[in-house]
Amino acid sequence: MSIFKRALGAALLASTMLAAPALADTKLEVAIIGEPQSLDPMLSTQDVVSIVTQHFIETLYTFDSKWNIQPLLAEALPEIADGGRTYRIKLRSGITFHDGSTMDSADVVDSLKRWTELATRGKGVAANIESISAPDASTVEIKLKEPYAPLLSLLAFSNSAAAIYPQEVLGEELKAIVGTGPYKLVEHVADQYILTRKFDGYLSRSEPSDGNAGARQQLVDEIRFVPVPDANTRVEGLVSGQFDYADGLPAESYSRVAESDKAEPVLLKDFGWPVWAVNHKAGLLTDRNIRKALLAALPMDDMMFAAFGDDNFFSADGAMYPEGWPWRSEEGLDQYNQNDPAKAAEYLKAANYDGTPLRILTSRQYEFHFKMAEVAKVALEAAGFKVEMNVVDWATLGQQRNDPALWDVYITHSPFLPEPALTDLYAPTSRLGWAEAEKDAVLTAFTAETDQAKRQELFGQLQKWLLDDVGFIKIGNFNALQGQRKGLAGVEPSPWPAFWNASVK
Amino acid sequence: MLARYVLRRLVGMVIVVFLVLTIAFVIVRLAPGDPAALMLGPEATAADAAALRARLGLDRPIPIQYLTFIGNALTGDLGTSIFFNQPVTRVLADRAEPTVFLALFSLLFALLIATPIGIYAAYRRGSFLDQSAISIAMLAASVPSFWTGLMVQRYLATELGWFPASGYGGPDADFLERMAHLMLPSLVLGVVNSALILRFTRASMLDVLGEDYVRTARSKGMGELRVVLRHALKNAAIPIITVVGLTFALLVSGAVVTERVFNIPGMGNLVVNAVLRRDYPVIQGTLIVVATLYVVINLVIDLLYLVVDKRVKY
Repeated sequence: MSIFKRALGAALLASTMLAAPALADTKLEVAIIGEPQSLDPMLSTQDVVSIVTQHFIETLYTFDSKWNIQPLLAEALPEIADGGRTYRIKLRSGITFHDGSTMDSADVVDSLKRWTELATRGKGVAANIESISAPDASTVEIKLKEPYAPLLSLLAFSNSAAAIYPQEVLGEELKAIVGTGPYKLVEHVADQYILTRKFDGYLSRSEPSDGNAGARQQLVDEIRFVPVPDANTRVEGLVSGQFDYADGLPAESYSRVAESDKAEPVLLKDFGWPVWAVNHKAGLLTDRNIRKALLAALPMDDMMFAAFGDDNFFSADGAMYPEGWPWRSEEGLDQYNQNDPAKAAEYLKAANYDGTPLRILTSRQYEFHFKMAEVAKVALEAAGFKVEMNVVDWATLGQQRNDPALWDVYITHSPFLPEPALTDLYAPTSRLGWAEAEKDAVLTAFTAETDQAKRQELFGQLQKWLLDDVGFIKIGNFNALQGQRKGLAGVEPSPWPAFWNASVK
Repeated sequence: MLARYVLRRLVGMVIVVFLVLTIAFVIVRLAPGDPAALMLGPEATAADAAALRARLGLDRPIPIQYLTFIGNALTGDLGTSIFFNQPVTRVLADRAEPTVFLALFSLLFALLIATPIGIYAAYRRGSFLDQSAISIAMLAASVPSFWTGLMVQRYLATELGWFPASGYGGPDADFLERMAHLMLPSLVLGVVNSALILRFTRASMLDVLGEDYVRTARSKGMGELRVVLRHALKNAAIPIITVVGLTFALLVSGAVVTERVFNIPGMGNLVVNAVLRRDYPVIQGTLIVVATLYVVINLVIDLLYLVVDKRVKY
């Protein structure tokens, strides 16, 4: 029995120790939704990879709280010349990697080249890149074949990131996880924790902190990321005071977190958008009238309500960007949320619809995907569709959607990305295969244009095309819930929360 | 004779493990889903996934993959985890501590609950205590462990703060603190698994208590405690040992739900994640280890019969 008593005693001791942060060594414990696939953000597009790795690996540019691009490892915004074909990037001096070496243009050139070879987003622009070179030790020059406005956003994004590593660690796989970030990786025990510690050689920017831009103050000594795959376990850990921050909490836990005396909810307005990806390569929806019937029939507000259950957690909005974003446009919105079975039936008639089932590929990994599909099924059947739900696990969906013969619609979701061109759904080359000469011309103009006002105008046209031609279907906006310890300051709500300015009172 | 028996059993074990190995290999590949696409994330193209599959050796013909797998397994090499990029043996070894201790503590809790009550219920057959013990045991066995887990986590850990809510202590936890993190999940598993042991103990004791030699022992004027514990329990032990052994094996392989609820980085959590990640080598490796464990425990149980009952001969 004595071992139990001792263990119980240790448990009590441990819980009191966790409740009172040590004065000498401040640390944060952050519950993340699972083990990151990789600690190399270049190789992954998972949000959890970005959340963790942005603390030790940095990019040339980053985003401020209004999603404007700001310099990080670059000295300033680039000099763009040659009609948008040449980007001259001056690097900051005195930047040290965690291995003690100094960053110079050779490191940056090789890192960017690796990015165009290995990163999904980097490979997307590779064909358009003429050269990446280093005119001198503190300057990098990127030459493009055609002007490509989203380049800077890609260089700033922490997801499939154009991360800067020392030359020595580069390779198909990194030889070591070494970056320039305010925290350095100390220990990684898979499925248990990722331990990072303040990097003493860090040279912070001097501008005031704003989003991910500006000063990174390294206020706590240690940040631990703990993978906790079960959402309820994250809630309990947060409410019990074990975690200082928890990502990805279920909507129904809101009141429990709000009523807790140790934690408080962090509501991320307009976090993301569920999307019905439409198959333009094969099957039923290659017929425009059937696509229009599908869009006409869908009751978006009912679907969102079924999926999220609480008005605080969603809004039925058809625009590709919420109010307040530079990309907001009202174009084409009369087509959204029609919920009109009669009109849908007319479109079906015009298409001589023969009752071939509409195959919806979805998974219950994200319960809201499945719930909205269930509601939609009823509405679609009322409009005269035959519907076949194919509910599989996420891994299976990830594989099956690559075969256009297997589905008409698959359901996924995306966060609002700082630049529309960061998603390939609009492009004819995506797995959706949405090709339409006129739309593609607008898309090309949009990606080539460097003037922001003109780009916004072109994006409006693209959105109108999206709704008129039913390229893919955006169902609405949903909020996300995170939670933090009461008294925690300095963490800005974000899909990729960062902790270098965090402090606990 | 015993040596021959053990040898025969060992040969049987090898066959069982080989079959499990083969079935494991086939089953994980029958499931749809592509580990490469999962690793690369939603934005990855089909070409990216194909390249990664080639690097992982998943593009080779299945029979070749199978032969390589068997060949390596014979040398103790269970392959390399696709997700962790580490040898599967290493990945499994890292998860052994929490899982084994969780199983041991759970079993201990289960025994502490089940045997005294089981013995007493049989001894006072039909009494109020007997009736209520059986009802409670049925209830405990019927309630799913995730529910019990959630409840004790919420009330004993979060609200009362008696136990850590989840995890395994983190980077600076010493052995004792790690064990402290196992107490609450062990309690849950102990309660859930005590029901079966309780029922077996009671049934087995009932059989024995009606035997002539028990009556003889009593008529010799032996004390009740001595009769029950010395004479009856010892003879009732075989079914109890069997169910205890199998419960242990079940706990090592089947604490999936509890490990998940309490975020214990053990084999149960590992195998669930491995399935979701389509980490074929880890799924196979876990199945092999669990199968081996089962057959070994079965053998140990059979050998234990020899110790507790001198009449058993092989």
